Amino acid sequence: MTTGTLQASISYGVGFAISSVAAPPRRLRHRHVTLAKAEPTDKSVEIMRKFSEQYARRSGTYFCVDKGVTSVVIKGLADHKDALGAPLCPCRHYDDKAAEATQGFWNCPCVPMRERKECHCMLFLTLDNDFAGKEQVTVMTNFKAL
Amino acid sequence: MAISSTAATIHCWNSDYRAALSPPSSSSSKLSYLSSLQFPRQLRLLGVQNKGFLSPSQPRTLSLVEAKKQTFSSLDELLANSDKPVLVDFYATWCGPCQIMAPVLNEVSTSMKDKIQVVKIDTEKYPSIADKYRIEALPTFIIFKDGEPCDRFEGALSADLLTQRIESTLKVKH
Repeated sequence: MTTGTLQASISYGVGFAISSVAAPPRRLRHRHVTLAKAEPTDKSVEIMRKFSEQYARRSGTYFCVDKGVTSVVIKGLADHKDALGAPLCPCRHYDDKAAEATQGFWNCPCVPMRERKECHCMLFLTLDNDFAGKEQVTVMTNFKAL
Repeated sequence: MAISSTAATIHCWNSDYRAALSPPSSSSSKLSYLSSLQFPRQLRLLGVQNKGFLSPSQPRTLSLVEAKKQTFSSLDELLANSDKPVLVDFYATWCGPCQIMAPVLNEVSTSMKDKIQVVKIDTEKYPSIADKYRIEALPTFIIFKDGEPCDRFEGALSADLLTQRIESTLKVKH
């Protein structure tokens, strides 16, 4: 059937087209195709950026001197928020991310941060930390993802 | 994985060169090891090595370190085939401290090229390997000697500290 073949080839073509686009607006789920890492949605990034600024102020912590680090972590939080509904810490490996997001220990701000101001992501840094800057505001900087 | 903006602003950890992992643009930099055992899943591991003999003829002002994508059927095979101790960096794309380590690992890989091989594993692409070694915080570094893990530490650190740590670990076995 010509229609069937057409449809098949279109979907095949779309699959390839998507894989060559640098920053698709939506997160893709095609595991069998090697894709560039999809970016989180702008909306989630902005939400997490604002959250980070508020929480830094509230906790008396500061962002890293290198704002690239701050940006990466904020995007990681946004990515998890998109995928899981909660900003799970991006600097950890999990057996089951969905379960962890529900359980909440590692949802940002995580328990170690809330209890001891420990942020191994280097997002919220206490003033005595060598890498702490003096700012509690941040803008997203562009970088090339892995 | 080049983060040129990040690498440029980190002055406290490494020297001024911006040796980021070069993008895999040339196919000549890709090596595939065909083993007699064909596993259904191929492992793409980012091996950071000094490939001086692969450097192109045009003059380069940057360091000769290149990311070399190697295809192995398993991490075990890579570890078994390595003639040197291996430093494995378990990372994730959106982990800030992991990104910091990119230029640091390049530098250490260059300066210690005869002593250790540096390999990076994306824990989101290879969760089973991360599970096997019970990786939790990222980045986690494991130094393998003779295929066995013999040191393990977490968190970003400077090139100097990383070098010291590797050297003291490698000394112990001798």
